[in-house]
Amino acid sequence: MTTTHPKNPTTHPKNPTTNPSSVIRTRFAVRFLHAMKKLNKKTPPSRRYHTIRAAACASMASAVGPRRAWSRAILRKIRARTLHDHLIHKSRNHRLITRRKSAGLRGNPRDQEEVGFRQEDDLRGLVPGGEGMGFCRLLSETAHYIKCLRAQVQVMTNILDHYSSS
Amino acid sequence: MLNSVRFARNFGEYRVASLSKPSSHFRNLDFRRNCASRLTMEPKAEATQPHFRSGEMGFGLDEIHSLISGPPETGRNSFTALLELPPPQAVQLLVKEDFPAKHLPPPIFPSNIGLIDRASKRSFFASADNPPASNTILLASSSMKVEIVKQEPTDSQPHPNSASPAVSDQSPKSGKRKEREKKVKESNKKSKKVVANEASEDGGKKLPYVHVRARRGQATDSHSLAERARREKINARMKLLQELVPGCNKISGTAMVLDEIINHVQALQRQVEFLSMRLAAVNPRIDFNLDALLAAESGSSIDNDYMGMFTPTIWPEGQINGNRQLEYQQLWQGDELRQPGWSREEDTPNFITPETSHLSYDSSANSAPLHSSQLKMEL
Repeated sequence: MTTTHPKNPTTHPKNPTTNPSSVIRTRFAVRFLHAMKKLNKKTPPSRRYHTIRAAACASMASAVGPRRAWSRAILRKIRARTLHDHLIHKSRNHRLITRRKSAGLRGNPRDQEEVGFRQEDDLRGLVPGGEGMGFCRLLSETAHYIKCLRAQVQVMTNILDHYSSS
Repeated sequence: MLNSVRFARNFGEYRVASLSKPSSHFRNLDFRRNCASRLTMEPKAEATQPHFRSGEMGFGLDEIHSLISGPPETGRNSFTALLELPPPQAVQLLVKEDFPAKHLPPPIFPSNIGLIDRASKRSFFASADNPPASNTILLASSSMKVEIVKQEPTDSQPHPNSASPAVSDQSPKSGKRKEREKKVKESNKKSKKVVANEASEDGGKKLPYVHVRARRGQATDSHSLAERARREKINARMKLLQELVPGCNKISGTAMVLDEIINHVQALQRQVEFLSMRLAAVNPRIDFNLDALLAAESGSSIDNDYMGMFTPTIWPEGQINGNRQLEYQQLWQGDELRQPGWSREEDTPNFITPETSHLSYDSSANSAPLHSSQLKMEL
């Protein structure tokens, strides 16, 4: 992974991997494997893909923590969804969701003119929780999100390799 | 400090600074901000004088003190800004102020008047520490500074160059303050500088103001300054993103870079989906043979630390069987993981390779159910 972090794991004898990306990778791997184990017992093969994908996102978000806006957004979505599923109170969830959306659309219109309508909206749609931030914050969230996505892909690839090999 | 807040509110500042403790740096910013905003709204200046006069009588002359002892360019800016004031107005301002120590030397030149006025104004917003006796001395010396400033307007130039690279560094990091500055005389060269460098030192307290000065030949009204600061922040973040996304360095232009970034994010998300699909397909035949997984993963990308963190807690447990204890272990370790999770795990490097080798050795030696349960507990 091309990290922008200055610490190089190989040159640091004491702390081999303390750069934040590996920390996140560790946390994500642990949680993801946890979730996978649970999933393995419960779900039928039909819905497995969806549940695994959701578990990947959820474990990534919880590994990152509530510090980042996008992880908070994912966790909120998950909690809202579980609420919806368990309580079947659609009205409450819809209210929550619509309120969030309306709050999010106060993005700075000047930014759009500056940069390009399409791109900023696309980016907002891609990054979770991107609706409710200014452009500047959106960019930093995107940067962190990209880093974490990369870590996620690496971990999942590793897991897959080990399973397919063994 | 509350008075300065009130003053700031009067002048319609962007954000109210959370003023915690007074320091010379902060006071520098304070009076600069005050003077700047005051100059932008001159007609209101007299009207608002009584506001800060009322509460800030006893305020010491730390402002003036720091004016002298502080970085020279700050003084220069404020002085040159003040020089723009027509003398009668300056005198008017001066006269209106209730100066705590009335033993001012009579101003001789208009510049001195403006200078003293500015210095005295600043004193209102300092924390009342210094005795007013120091006022005269500071004023006298500050008057001298004005002469120097007038003679050498070019001096203001070299400072910002060193500081302008700091803008992009500082702005995303440290506490920011925003300041509006009125356009100085055309002859004076302005400089781009971030005073947040100095100002954010005080106790590491984050203040929401960015001090930005306009470059030469650029508009200096508050809106364009604010926009420019924002644009610089955005450009800094875009640069970060460019480094992050491969192949973006060569592309110039925000739109293209954003396109690349969007494509990259989409590609990564698609990759995650694809991998999860493959995992879903592969899963049924896997019983999560964790020892091989952990060993290999520790070798490749994931560090050994977390494994080392868990193993010392596991081995003392001895032989543990039964689901309940297994789940208890998992839960406990989950909590343990979660707690250092939100903050950096600094202690993990302590447990490294000896434990992992121990683990692998033991895992191979033990009976299958035991070792698998132990490995499950690790997770």
